[in-house]
Amino acid sequence: MFPRELLPLAVGLIGLYVIVVALSYWWARRVRREIEAKEREIKHRLYEIAILKEISDRTGYSLNIQKILDVIAGSLRQFIEYSAASYMLLEPSKIIFKADLDQSVSPQFIKDIRGRMLGSLEALLGRPLADMQIEETLTGAIMLDDVDELVQSFFNIPLVIGGQLVGVLTIAHTKAGLYKEEEMAILYKIVNQASQAVTSLGEVVKTEQGKIIAMLESMVEGVVMTDRDYHIVAMNPSARAIVGYTPTGEPTMFDIVEKFKNIFNLQEKLEESIKLDKMITLDGAVLGDKYYQILLSPVKSNQGAMKGQVLGGVIIFHDITHEKEAEKMRSDFTSMMVHELRSPLGNIKKIGELMKSSKILEDKEASTEYAGMLYDSSSSMLDLVNDLLDVSKLEAGKFEVDRQPGNIKELLVERVKFFDTTARDASVALKISLGEGVPDVVSMDTKRTAQIVNNLLSNALKYTPKGGTVTAECFLHTQGTEIGAEALRFGMPWFAESAEKSTANLAKSVVVAVTDTGEGISLENVGKLWNKFTQFTSTARKGAEHKGTGLGLVIVKGIVEAHGGTVGVGSKLGSGSTFYFTLPLEVV
Amino acid sequence: MMKKILIIDDDKIFSKILRDGLVAGGQGKYEVVTAFDGEEGFEVASREKPDLIMLDLMMPKVTGIEFLKKLRAEDWGQETPVIVETQLSDLEKMSEGVELGVRGYIIKSDYSIDAILRQVGDVFKE
Repeated sequence: MFPRELLPLAVGLIGLYVIVVALSYWWARRVRREIEAKEREIKHRLYEIAILKEISDRTGYSLNIQKILDVIAGSLRQFIEYSAASYMLLEPSKIIFKADLDQSVSPQFIKDIRGRMLGSLEALLGRPLADMQIEETLTGAIMLDDVDELVQSFFNIPLVIGGQLVGVLTIAHTKAGLYKEEEMAILYKIVNQASQAVTSLGEVVKTEQGKIIAMLESMVEGVVMTDRDYHIVAMNPSARAIVGYTPTGEPTMFDIVEKFKNIFNLQEKLEESIKLDKMITLDGAVLGDKYYQILLSPVKSNQGAMKGQVLGGVIIFHDITHEKEAEKMRSDFTSMMVHELRSPLGNIKKIGELMKSSKILEDKEASTEYAGMLYDSSSSMLDLVNDLLDVSKLEAGKFEVDRQPGNIKELLVERVKFFDTTARDASVALKISLGEGVPDVVSMDTKRTAQIVNNLLSNALKYTPKGGTVTAECFLHTQGTEIGAEALRFGMPWFAESAEKSTANLAKSVVVAVTDTGEGISLENVGKLWNKFTQFTSTARKGAEHKGTGLGLVIVKGIVEAHGGTVGVGSKLGSGSTFYFTLPLEVV
Repeated sequence: MMKKILIIDDDKIFSKILRDGLVAGGQGKYEVVTAFDGEEGFEVASREKPDLIMLDLMMPKVTGIEFLKKLRAEDWGQETPVIVETQLSDLEKMSEGVELGVRGYIIKSDYSIDAILRQVGDVFKE
């Protein structure tokens, strides 16, 4: 007999048991659900990874979107159910439409998805695509006219590469209610990752290509690259400019070879370079007024399975015109110097010969004349040698001036007097114009300053035709005013410098200038005046081919700069020139 | 009969030496006139009709070669013997001179007065 008083306890225990069982059941269900959810998630992740891996394995480093889409569409079957997986790709002149059928569908079904895809592309682009030609390809199951199942499940994924819409990927099924958010999310992810990979790979390639192209395009050297059959694969603008006009507009190897045919056979040389696997340098290619050094070399692959294999050849045109010009200038300078030294030396020798053999010395007048000739010839030689020494000191940076207090106005008056006879002989008026305010004493190397004035005056007289005027000028420059304006204020003749150079900022100085009414110097030549190797020919009275060494102005500039001053030239073709220099007052 | 020689040279010292040398060395056979550039040279040549011209190639205004072309274009100047004075550096210009009927050349700084006299004598020997 069950004791009655134990009944409430038994009921309590049973109740407790029921509660525990119910709770554990509820708990177990909850845990199972969680595990199931986790399992599902893991499964999806695994899918994702598997698909992505397969896609990346199959596409490799491809930049071909269509190939990648084919791979994606082909891999979808493994984890998603569909009647048709299709994509539409926008090309400049057409639309590619490709559908993979997993089951037979009707033509109406295909028409339906095609219409939906086109519609979504138009919506995304915001423009109609109705007149674009569509290239359609169907793979997989065959189409059947007697099935009339329509599109029941459907979703689109836009394809965006590098921020640009390139197409759309679509999954469609005849069954309704498929494609939940999870599946769509995975597919989105796959497509996005593929797009991103293509975008970044594309950018890397584009950047690298851009770098190479920019480098090639901006190269001064002409560069032509050919393949093994000597077809041009790359050519930069410099190379195009060298080859010049070609009838087709696109130069060929033939055009290049033709251009140099009188000098050497470029193709043969390139063949030789590739065959012997070495660089060949060709000198002395002259085209018009340009000199080229041509380098020929084989081009080899530096990566992958092709490494070391010859891909073709490269021709580099190096313009050495400037080097050749400099070389010519130097050699012209040397032969000019030799000429300038030989003439007086030859004369001295002949004077000696005449004095020895003839009776010149007996005639008092003639012997005085000959002594003068000896003096002139040896002086001109000595001047030349001194000029050369000065220039070499200047170039070595060892040129020094000995500044002492001196009177620049007196110096100028005295120099003008010295040239008086020369000017009169040449029927040129030689004037002097002194402005107010020039201090009596300035700090200068009197001997060197006289040398500058001599040089400027003798040049001016040399280049001024009969009836012309040469004016020596001297005035005070104050900071803040252009020198030219100051000269004009003093009523002195002045040819202004090119507008680029301003003299207003020069510190307070004495300006010494020589203005002539000669033929003037072109702007282009003004810049060359201070060059050691420059020598101008003149059409004026005394100008002659190869007269003088052209060293004078180089030395003038050196002396002035050693004083802390500056030199300048203003000129007007057909009217005359002004050469000036400044002696700063503040520098002691 | 005195032979008339025209020296056309802008180097006044050389011109003077050459004139004195020719006059002294020619012992009365040569009469020498001078001009200091191609333009003046042509004026003097047309006036004096010299028997020989000593011509410097490097001169202002009208160069030696230009002078030669002008001379050869004149009836009176077609046969006039010309000796060109050059420096070594412009020997390449000689080929043009040869085409214009130049009889010989002297290298100014190298040739002695004696050598020049011999060359002048050769022209008149024929």
